[in-house]
Amino acid sequence: MGHTYDFASIPGYIPKIMQAFPLTIEILLLSLLFGLALAALVTIGSLGRNKVLNAVSKGYISFMRGIPTLVLIFLLYLGLPQIMQGIGVDMSGISKTAYIIACLSLSSSANFAEMMRASYLAVDKGQREAAYSVGMKGFTAFRRIIFPQAFGIAIPALGNNIIMLFKETSLAFTVGVIDILGKARAMSAASYGTNRLEVYIATGLIFWAICFILEKLSKSFEKAYTKGRKKATS
Amino acid sequence: MINFGFIVQSVPALIKAIPVTLLMAFAAAAAGWLLGLGIALIRKNKVPVISQICAVFVSFMRGVPMIILLYISYYALPVVVYNYGMSIGREIDLNAIPAVLYAVLALMLDQAAYSSEIFRSALSAVDEGQMEACYSVGMTKSQALIRIVLPQAMAIAVPNLSGLFLGLVKGTSLAYYVGVYEITATANLLAMPALNFIEAYVMTTIIYEIISFIFNKLFRGCENRLKRFRAGASAA
Repeated sequence: MGHTYDFASIPGYIPKIMQAFPLTIEILLLSLLFGLALAALVTIGSLGRNKVLNAVSKGYISFMRGIPTLVLIFLLYLGLPQIMQGIGVDMSGISKTAYIIACLSLSSSANFAEMMRASYLAVDKGQREAAYSVGMKGFTAFRRIIFPQAFGIAIPALGNNIIMLFKETSLAFTVGVIDILGKARAMSAASYGTNRLEVYIATGLIFWAICFILEKLSKSFEKAYTKGRKKATS
Repeated sequence: MINFGFIVQSVPALIKAIPVTLLMAFAAAAAGWLLGLGIALIRKNKVPVISQICAVFVSFMRGVPMIILLYISYYALPVVVYNYGMSIGREIDLNAIPAVLYAVLALMLDQAAYSSEIFRSALSAVDEGQMEACYSVGMTKSQALIRIVLPQAMAIAVPNLSGLFLGLVKGTSLAYYVGVYEITATANLLAMPALNFIEAYVMTTIIYEIISFIFNKLFRGCENRLKRFRAGASAA
């Protein structure tokens, strides 16, 4: 094993890997959108008065938190088409990217739902009562009084969850999507693995840099949003 | 449609893979959390230079996906080990190193970074007055830390550590990609020949759900037992 590593070549790989960046961002944004929408439904279910819906929401969250994303991907990507074929539905037309987006939306929705629930409950009860007392109806009170405060409380957790989701997009390569890591693997394979360590370090640096930017964005957004607002947590 | 014969046949093999998953998780958590506590203490006490290095390490670990850390560990560590072996004049057979070591190393460093943040916030949540009270009865700094501050900090940290550990168990499934035959990899191996994916992954899912459920309960119990340390803590 007389292999030596050429660490000076690392920066050179970054532009090539970044060619796959748009796809990674597409996966991130769509998963974020669907994940948040799904989480909103689950949160409504868990906060409502319906006992059955409460149990379903709770069960959904604990199921999604228990299953590794990789297993969920295999289950949906390899297992689901088999079941669907059994009942006569052909799923071969669905793109690999769509599977990944579906899996990441499902797995992230549990974390988002927990975040939404906690932020909603963190807003002081008196706020709702005050809104009612000036004649606001349920949804108006939520939209104008509760939500803006809950959102402010949720920003740090939202930022963290988005960073986690971004890191999870790296699993797209497991079904053959050419995202950032997929591209890196292809580059490593093209050189018969001679530059694999350099390529993976370059990929790691890209993820680190983007996470760093996301964290800074989240911090400054939190500052801008909560500026001038009084914290009304219970 | 569902091949029950396959399920019956493959359950023993899957159950045999559970200890591999758990071993990785325990080893990574034990070593990683100890390291994390060290990092937290270093950063809390603002030890010059080391604390800055730790900050960069934590930021890197938190910014890079587990799978990339696994690859880096898998491809970089053998070279380091080999070169070390040569420097002491021995040729080390790299094939003798089990793949699980690379996985544990990557998982451990990841745990160290995340747990250090948990310990750091737990340590700062313990009231300053506790430390002063220790000094006033003549304890040394390390006595105060071990006997008074750490038990209280642990009680605060346990709920977050529980979440971290459950994430770690899930993270071990990625060790598949560096050639460790844990639960996910075993399921894949079993499913491949006759394409029994749905059966294999449903079983895998059930196993992971059971593991999560058990550890969730264990950590809850732990939380309740540690509650006695919480009286008077976190007055801030």
